[in-house]
Amino acid sequence: MRKINLILILLASVVFAQAQVLPEIELGAKGVMSGNFENNNTIASSAVSDFSDSQLLLGFRQKLYNNWRSQMVFGMQFPDADSDLGQVFYNHVFLKLENQKNIFKIGRSTTQTILNEFPTLRDDDALLFNYALNPFADGTNTQDNQYGNVIEYTHVHNQRYWLTFHGENFTNLSEPNNFDLNAYGGSFLYSVPESQRWDRAIIQRLGVSYNNYVDEQTNTTGSDDLLSNILGTVTLNLRPDPVHFIDLKIQGIYNQGSNTVDRMSTYSEYVRMPSISTFGTIRYIYRKLERPFLQTSLGFGYKTFVNLNESEQLIGIANVFYRIGDNFDMGFQYRYLSNRGQTELLFGQTEHKIQLALIYSVSQLFNNQFDTRNSILNLEHKYLE
Amino acid sequence: MDRKEFLKYGAMGVFGMTMLPANLFAQQTKTANKSLFPAALPFSTKGEWKEFEISIGITEQTLAPAMKIHTLAFNDMVPGPEIRVKQGDKVRVIFKNNTDLNHTIHWHGIYVPWRMDGVPYVTQMPVMPGQEFVYEFTAEPYGTHFYHCHWGTLLHMQSGMFGSVIIESDDDPIKKAFPYEREYTLIYSAHDVNYIRNELNSMLERMKERSFLMKNGRFSAERFNLFNTKEELLESINNGYQPPYLTNQRTSAELPIPNWFTVNGKSYPSTPYLFIKTGENIRIRLINAGTENHHLHLHGHDFWMVCDDGVPLPQPWQRNTVSLSPGKTYDIIVEGNNRGIWTFHDHDTRRVTNNGLYPGGNLLALVYEDLPKKERMVGGMSNMKMQGEMNLLPKIALDE
Repeated sequence: MRKINLILILLASVVFAQAQVLPEIELGAKGVMSGNFENNNTIASSAVSDFSDSQLLLGFRQKLYNNWRSQMVFGMQFPDADSDLGQVFYNHVFLKLENQKNIFKIGRSTTQTILNEFPTLRDDDALLFNYALNPFADGTNTQDNQYGNVIEYTHVHNQRYWLTFHGENFTNLSEPNNFDLNAYGGSFLYSVPESQRWDRAIIQRLGVSYNNYVDEQTNTTGSDDLLSNILGTVTLNLRPDPVHFIDLKIQGIYNQGSNTVDRMSTYSEYVRMPSISTFGTIRYIYRKLERPFLQTSLGFGYKTFVNLNESEQLIGIANVFYRIGDNFDMGFQYRYLSNRGQTELLFGQTEHKIQLALIYSVSQLFNNQFDTRNSILNLEHKYLE
Repeated sequence: MDRKEFLKYGAMGVFGMTMLPANLFAQQTKTANKSLFPAALPFSTKGEWKEFEISIGITEQTLAPAMKIHTLAFNDMVPGPEIRVKQGDKVRVIFKNNTDLNHTIHWHGIYVPWRMDGVPYVTQMPVMPGQEFVYEFTAEPYGTHFYHCHWGTLLHMQSGMFGSVIIESDDDPIKKAFPYEREYTLIYSAHDVNYIRNELNSMLERMKERSFLMKNGRFSAERFNLFNTKEELLESINNGYQPPYLTNQRTSAELPIPNWFTVNGKSYPSTPYLFIKTGENIRIRLINAGTENHHLHLHGHDFWMVCDDGVPLPQPWQRNTVSLSPGKTYDIIVEGNNRGIWTFHDHDTRRVTNNGLYPGGNLLALVYEDLPKKERMVGGMSNMKMQGEMNLLPKIALDE
């Protein structure tokens, strides 16, 4: 009888808790609609409506016992029309546990293949230059480099220094049903929180990372080989001003590659060829009446291959975004891509791409109940759990 | 924590909220209880002036055990310190702004010169970050009053910027009619803690930018939403400017709705006790510095309502419930004539909750110090075997 009473009390406690602790719900949406005109050497093509990179995110957050917080995020993205991912790609399905100093994340999410955020129309516009590329993919889907099944631990020190250890299962086209870890690495990042970003001179972000893909394809002995990438990035506030803001972002990637690859006739060889790539942008933001109003940026990238002469890639991106209403922007972007040497066989000689776009992006919190790690109150007036 | 402990603590979570501390009558509790009432701010005498110093800063406030929020606090306390002076005193208050926000102080109910009234852009410029402003006035009229910030009033008041001003008289008519030794000040407020957090963050971010621009001589009427005349505003609107009430539209679900209710900056079970003895009169000064009506009801007694907005009533009213609307002050006298432990609470019981959970909010207790030990036990709890010794402890009469 005593046991039954205890069970009843436990059940009552569970009901009590479920009735009172509602999660914080975050709804994020981004719609990128562009009309594209592309000229690849002598072949011209156009797309009336390209809505790739549009996505919907739904997040649930709540406090745990001992003041930890949990989050579940579910997100879907519309991939490129020529991808083989289907109509919708589920880019985020993960759980996160965190407190002030620690973050654990597990599930499908963004990978640590990039260390910065660049002001391009779509995240993958300079993918060949600013991502440590997934060697298990075939280059068809940009998502194969951006997302994976991840397990991550991050230690946050002084709300600015982020030390992360991570492991991933990237999409592997040769073994699509193998969900073992096929990559791991670590990164260290100094990053000024968003709420303090505009008034910090001069370093806004500084980071390095070391990523390793566990590669079985390049080794004939049967043991695994490592394809390692070293990434470094810096963001400088050239003009830390709330109205006329200018920053410079640069990222470099050294791909150690595989010594067994000596030519680039396939995408697989391209990503395994030792290379050095850099990508950088200089951006100007005009914030009229305390809201972003106009943003324009210029970006350049260069990629060279350590063991090959006369093979290189160049990219140039110029864009401008104009805010026509809260959350709503009009944009124009021009991208130039040049491939020389063996990369020309893979990607063509040159490409000119012009895009006119409308962008809607919104993030809305419902049932808001606790503060964020990077709020001014938590940063400057004692962190409250 | 093993299963047994889990059950024990789980049960305490459910039942513990209705309990008074075991040592309610100990001297230690009474001493600690004093800190739950606004302390009189010390002053220095400068000629004919009583000079007070008040600063404003951002600090953390514990509303109830384990519930902390960031607040705007005068002299690091919520409510701010009590300014207690004699009628006719010359009062000087040196106000220092140690936050990144603008502020003023409005002296609610006091006959200050109009330039001292603390209304930004009407009687004075706002006291900007790092600035100081000196308020001077003669302490009139007699009675219970309060002060509060008049900049961003909705946010700043519920964030903690309020405090009591008591103007005493040597010839106190209330003391004559109802002789008393002890008095208590109770300042009521209501807080939407999510609104406070989000708006403070937002305002702090905006003010950082504005302070930066001001320092560099880059004032802009439209960016700061400040216009000299209505005509200037209309001209800007014609030229494409959108006022903040258009660009910051919220749905009704996002408008501030208080979910925490405090007395002297605390919610039950951290609210103060009102100690009384049989045969004693106590004076309670009630101030509503919040945005909600509070229908305050005392169990087991009638009380005398003796002052309204500080003004002594020609005929005290005998009642057991008083409706304290925003901005009002009432003084009541409780006669110690019914020994026990009695609740004194808002009879709009939405305000005796913490974030919607009952009990909480502005629930507090009138406690007779001379309650015999044998009457301090609550009976009828023998079925609560799990509570063990807890059934010997006194309980608040939660009888709604």
